[in-house]
Order: sequence, then structure tokens, then C-alpha cells
Amino acid sequence: MPISSRLVINLTIVLLTVGLLALVGIVATTVWLGEKAQIYAEDATSAQNTRIAAVELRVALQSAESSQRGYLVGGNEIYLAPYDSAKTHAVSQLERLKSSLSALPQTARLMERLSQVVAEKVEDMDRTIALKRELHDAEALAVFGGNRGKALMDEANVFLSSIIRTTDERLTSGLAQQRLNAAWLRWVSLIGGLVIIVVVSGVILTIYRYTREIAQTRDQVQLLNATLEQRVKDRTVDLAQARDKAEVLLAEVNHRVANSLAMVSSLVSLQSRTMKDKVAQEALKETQARIDAIASVHKRLYSSGDARFVDFDEYLSSLLNNVETAMRDEGHGASLRYDLDALKLKPDTSVNLGVIVTELVTNAFKYAYPDSSGEVRVRLKRLSASQAELVVEDDGIGRSAGAPPKGTGLGTRIVNAMARTIGADVEYVVRHPGCGARLAFACPADIE
Amino acid sequence: MKAPKIHPIVSSAKATRASVLAFSILASVFQFCPLAAQEGPAGITRPTVLPPFDPNGRACGRPAGLERVLAFSQDNERKFMQGVAQGLALAARDRGLEYRVAQANNDPTKMVDQVRAFLNAKVGALVIAPVDPPSIGPVLKQVIWSGAYVGAVVPPPATTVLNAPQYLTGKVLGDEAAAYIRTRLNGRAKVVLLSHDSLQFLAPRFVAMRDALKEMPGVVIVADISPLTVDEAGGAAMMRTILLADPDIDVVLGADTVVLGALAALREAGKARPDQFLGGIDGEPAAVNEIKAGGPYKASVSLASPIFSYAMGQHAADWLEGKSIPQAMDILPKALKLDNIAGYEADLADPAAVYNDPTRRAQYLRMYGNICFDTRQNFINFPWSSERK
Repeated sequence: MPISSRLVINLTIVLLTVGLLALVGIVATTVWLGEKAQIYAEDATSAQNTRIAAVELRVALQSAESSQRGYLVGGNEIYLAPYDSAKTHAVSQLERLKSSLSALPQTARLMERLSQVVAEKVEDMDRTIALKRELHDAEALAVFGGNRGKALMDEANVFLSSIIRTTDERLTSGLAQQRLNAAWLRWVSLIGGLVIIVVVSGVILTIYRYTREIAQTRDQVQLLNATLEQRVKDRTVDLAQARDKAEVLLAEVNHRVANSLAMVSSLVSLQSRTMKDKVAQEALKETQARIDAIASVHKRLYSSGDARFVDFDEYLSSLLNNVETAMRDEGHGASLRYDLDALKLKPDTSVNLGVIVTELVTNAFKYAYPDSSGEVRVRLKRLSASQAELVVEDDGIGRSAGAPPKGTGLGTRIVNAMARTIGADVEYVVRHPGCGARLAFACPADIE
Repeated sequence: MKAPKIHPIVSSAKATRASVLAFSILASVFQFCPLAAQEGPAGITRPTVLPPFDPNGRACGRPAGLERVLAFSQDNERKFMQGVAQGLALAARDRGLEYRVAQANNDPTKMVDQVRAFLNAKVGALVIAPVDPPSIGPVLKQVIWSGAYVGAVVPPPATTVLNAPQYLTGKVLGDEAAAYIRTRLNGRAKVVLLSHDSLQFLAPRFVAMRDALKEMPGVVIVADISPLTVDEAGGAAMMRTILLADPDIDVVLGADTVVLGALAALREAGKARPDQFLGGIDGEPAAVNEIKAGGPYKASVSLASPIFSYAMGQHAADWLEGKSIPQAMDILPKALKLDNIAGYEADLADPAAVYNDPTRRAQYLRMYGNICFDTRQNFINFPWSSERK
């Protein structure tokens, strides 16, 4: 599955967060365990001091007791050599023990009783030694045989053993805790290190895959770009060929249509010549003129390079020349003058306007100047970017209001019908002298 | 057949057959004047290892001129001695002897007077629990010289010495504690040994307890100490002291009285737990009640006094009938626990049934040496113990 940049960013953030957390975990654990190690070290020192004091106290008491018993049995003062120093040592160690246990209130009663026992033990030993020195052997032995000294020593041992054992347990449990802490630190460091390695590996892998995919994509794009130009060229050539074929075909169609219309015009002309009736002959000539107007558009289309539009001004000037020539041949004496702005129109619009102009100009030639010569004017003007105006006018006799149309009236109906086809209205203008027709129509701006 | 050297009593018996005859003559003379206090043989005074008792030992003559009376010279009214009296009375009834009892109330002089009275009354058998062995010893020897059976509850002299094997007694309790620690306390326990320094002969009990526990690495003896007084108050006082040093105790061992005191101190301190093992020696009724209650008190090692005294009564009757009887007898300690108290109490209630069943008898009694009227010069006159090596 391809890796998106968003996925790469999210994944990298997640992995780096995990790695950071692992690192923080390692550091926090190390600091925490370091604190614990410090606490343990202080506790171990305290426990060790307590233990040493307890052991020393017991050794001192045992040493003093050995001296006492040696003296009682042997009567030799040499046995008492260590006695006093042992007693002094016992007292000092008892004080040291009290000091080291002072922080533990639960041992207060124990230490109180231990102090009493040590004091009584020392007193018992002192008493028997004094009796022996005063040669009261029997009394000394009676005190010794009463087992009070042993009982006191046993009781002191209960306390001292308990203190030693408790401190040993503290040291042992502390050491075990330290071992456990060390194991924790090892595991946390190991696991954290592994997590960091996994995270770094993940990031590297993700970036590597992403980079590789980018390189692959770039190569593919380059490859596509390299072929695209050729494909565009090929396509352009294909399109040009297709367009050329279409234009040739369209020109051919227009040529054929123009030829066919020309043939129809010729047929109509032949027909009109055979007609005896003047009116019918006239009607056929008008029809022929209309067909010629249409055919002329198709000639323009296949003779120009662009089948979509017609250079209407050129078309119209040619058309008007033909109409003028035809009218003069029929004996009409008016002259034709035209003023045409350059304008490109669609073929349909051109056909309609051509037929309309032919009708209007023909009418003007036929009816404006019945007895004299005059001028027929055609003006094609662009009014705005989307609007144009076609005007046909004369200075003839004009048209009386309410008077019936001259001729058959077909021309007027054709003009109106075709004007509607292209969305325009014909406005007839009365002039003095003469009359005119004005046609405003839409001409798209992009056809220039 | 050559007698083993380790049994001097056997060889001496063989070597002094002539003197036995002479002693019999002397005895027959003394029986006419029992108060003459004539000196007789001193008995076996050197520590000697006795062979096992032979039930088919050679028969002797019957003591002449003595009454078929079984007398009990009792030191005091403690429960243990009540059991002795109970067994003796039953044996006397079963064997057709007259039973008499004299209680000294711990007064040694009174005891001497009472025993002299029995001597003068020509009782055929005397069982005694001495108040003061040194003062009563000479009188007992006179009773022996008179031809009567003398059974002593521990201190000699006596034709039959009853012994409580101290090491074994301590071992039974120590083994029970060790088993409990092993099975119920996962091998770990803080142990208190409440010893008894004022009675030296009891020291083997505590040696045995230490031996039973010393192989257990998880056991710590936090206190091995004798209470100032061996009673409940002494046990309680010592336990309070020990609790100052070690508030959490798992096992307490000692005599029943001091262990009962220790239990009271534990309860007082709120440190008594059902999983503790408190065990004592002597089968004190209060200890038995604690065991029955199912609390921390788990065992009491008891010496079945009605059973050994019933045996002594039977031996007395056998003696008077000229039969050979043991010179010494161990009463074997039995650990009373919740699951065996009922059976034990049934045995105490009917000691005759135990005595007459050799298998059940062997669970309580172990007998050593042989003696009868004709060989009574071999009476035991030293502190005999089956545990002496």
C-alpha cells in the first residue's frame, strides 16, 4: 500500500512520541531508583551501626561474665583483668545502641528494659566479685547458683538477638530491594532501549519507504512526461487530420449543396423561361434569386477556410452585386450602393439575412423607382459587441399607409418569417422621400 | 552363656547367688523385727544400662509375713498424682489387694512418718512419689529390705523405678512443632522456648526441642529462656518481656503451665493467632481445654499417670505372688492433639484395658530389667534413665 505524506507525518509523530516516552521512562526510573538507593544506603548505615552496637554490647557482657566466672571459680585476680574495660565498653555500647534506636519509638520500651537488665547484670556481677574478694565464697557461690545472672544474660540475649536479627532483616530486605531495583533498572533500560531502537527503525523505515516511493513516483512522472509530449503531438496530428477531413468533408458538402442549389436555380430559370404567364415567370425569378442567395452562402462556406462562420460583409457584397446585375438585366434602372462593416456570422444567420436582403433590395429595385432612376442603399453596421444592424432604404415613391403590398406579398412574409428565425424584428421606416427597412439582430462577440 | 558386660546387673546376679540366699535368710529374720532398721544391701548404685524386661523371667519365692496391701505415699494432690492414685486403686481392686493412701502435702517429714507407718504395718507393696528424695531414701531401703515391693515415681531407691524419658518427652513436642511449622507455616517460624533452669533433670527436654528444630533453616529461636517462676504468672511475665523484642511469635514451647501463661500474655497483647503453635508438657487440664477449644494451643505432651500406676499396682501383686517384674519402667510421652484427645481420655478412664492389651500397653509403657523377691538386693539405687548412654 502506498504511503501518503500525511500517514508518514502522523506515523513519525507517533513513533517519536513513543520513543520520547521510553526515554523519559528510562530517565525517570533511573532517577527514582537512584533516590531509593540513596535511602537504602542511609538505612543500611543506620542498621549497621545498630547491629554493631548490639553485637559489641553482647560481647562486652559475655566478656565481663567470663571474667566474673573465672574469678569466682579460680579465685585468681588475673581473670578480672578485662572485667572493668568490658563493663565500660558495655555501658558505652548501650548508649550507642540507645542513640541509634532513638528514631524508632516502638523500641523505647525494649531499650528501657534492656537498660535495666544490663544494669542488674552488672550489679549482680559486681556483687559476686565483691563477696569473693571479701572471702565470702559460699555467699558468692549461692548468688551465682541462684541463676539470676544467667536469667539476666538470657533476657539481655533475647533483646540483643532481636535487635541483631531485626537489623539483619533490614539489611537483607534492603539488599534484596536493591537487587530488585537493579533488575528493574536493567529491564526498564533494556525494554526502553528496544522501544527506542524499534521507534528509530520504524521512522527510518517509514522515511526510506516514503523516499523510495517518491523517487518511484518521480520516475513515473518523468516517464509519463516524456511520453506525454509525443502523445500530445500524435493526438494533435490526429485531431488536425480529423479536422482537415471534417473541413474537407464539410466543404464538399457545402460544395455539393451549392452545386445542387445552383442546379435548382438553373432548373427554376429554365422553368421560368418556358412560362408564358408573366406573374408566374416573375415568381420563379424571385424564387431563383432566393435560391441563389442561399447557394451563395454555401459557396462562401466551402471556398473559405472556416466552415463555422461566414464573412458576412464579403458574402453580402457579392450577393448584392449579383442582385444588382440581375435587376439591371431585367430593366430596372435604380443603382445600388452599400456600406458594410466587417462581420462574421453563422451560416444559418447568413442564409436568413441573405434571403432577407435579397427580398428587400429586389423590392426596392422593382417598386421604388417606377418611372425614374434612384438609389438603393444597403448598410450593415455593428452597433455593439453583440448587436448589429442591417438597413435597406431608398429614395423612391415610398409606401402609402394602409396600401396593399405590391406583388404577391410572399416576399414580405418570407422576410418576416426569416427575421423571426434569427430572433429579429423588421422595422419598416417611412422616409420622405422613399422608405426603408431596418433589422437589428444579435451578433455574438466571438465571431469577429 | 556369658552375660554382656554392658548389663552389670545380670552378671552381678549370677555372681552373687549365694549372697542372695543369705539375704533371704536375713530378710526372714528381719520380718520378725521390721523396725530393727538393720542395714541391707545398697542395691545397684552405679549407673547401669538395663536390658529389656523378660516377661518369662525366673520365678522367685513369695514374700512371707507381709500384708496384701498396696499403699500409696502421695506427695500432693496435683492432678498428675490423682491419676496415679486412680490407677493404683483400680489395680488393687483387680488383684484383690487392700489399697491405702497417705498424702504428705509436700511435707517431707510427714512423708517419712507415713512410710515408716506403712513399714510397721508390714504392707506388701508401696508406691511413692517422694517429696524429698534424700530424706525418704533410707526409709525406702528399709521397706525394700522388709521384702516389700517399692515402686518410686522417678527418684530411687525402688524395686521398680518409674522414669519419664525427658529427652523423648521434649522430642515428641519438638517433632509436633516441627511438623506443624513445616506443613502449616511453610517452614518459617519465630520460636520461643520457655525452659526450666531450676530443675536440671528436665534439661534434656529442651535439648530435644532444640534438636528437633535446629535442622529447619526457616526457624528462628527468638528466645530460649527460663521464666523466673515456673507457673502461669512466670510464663506470662516472660512472654510480655519477649513481646517487647519480638511482637510476632509463631511457636511457644515449654511446660504447660508457663505456656498457658504465655498464651494469656499473647492474648493480652492482641498477638494470639489461630495459626500459632503453642505446645506444652504435662497434659494439664487447662491446656487440654485450650486444645479442645481449637485455638493457638495445639498440643500437650502427657504422661498417662493412671496407666503407669495401674501397671505398678499389677507389678506389686505379681511381686507378692513371687513373679518377676521390671526393675524400671518408662512412661512414654504422648502428644495430645485435637484429633486424639478422646481416645487418650478413654484409655485413662480404663487403664486395665490398656494394660491387658500388649499392643496398646506398648504405646504407653516400656519396661527394663527383671527383679523379684529373691533378687531384691538388685533394687535400683541410682538416678536411672533409659536415655543414659
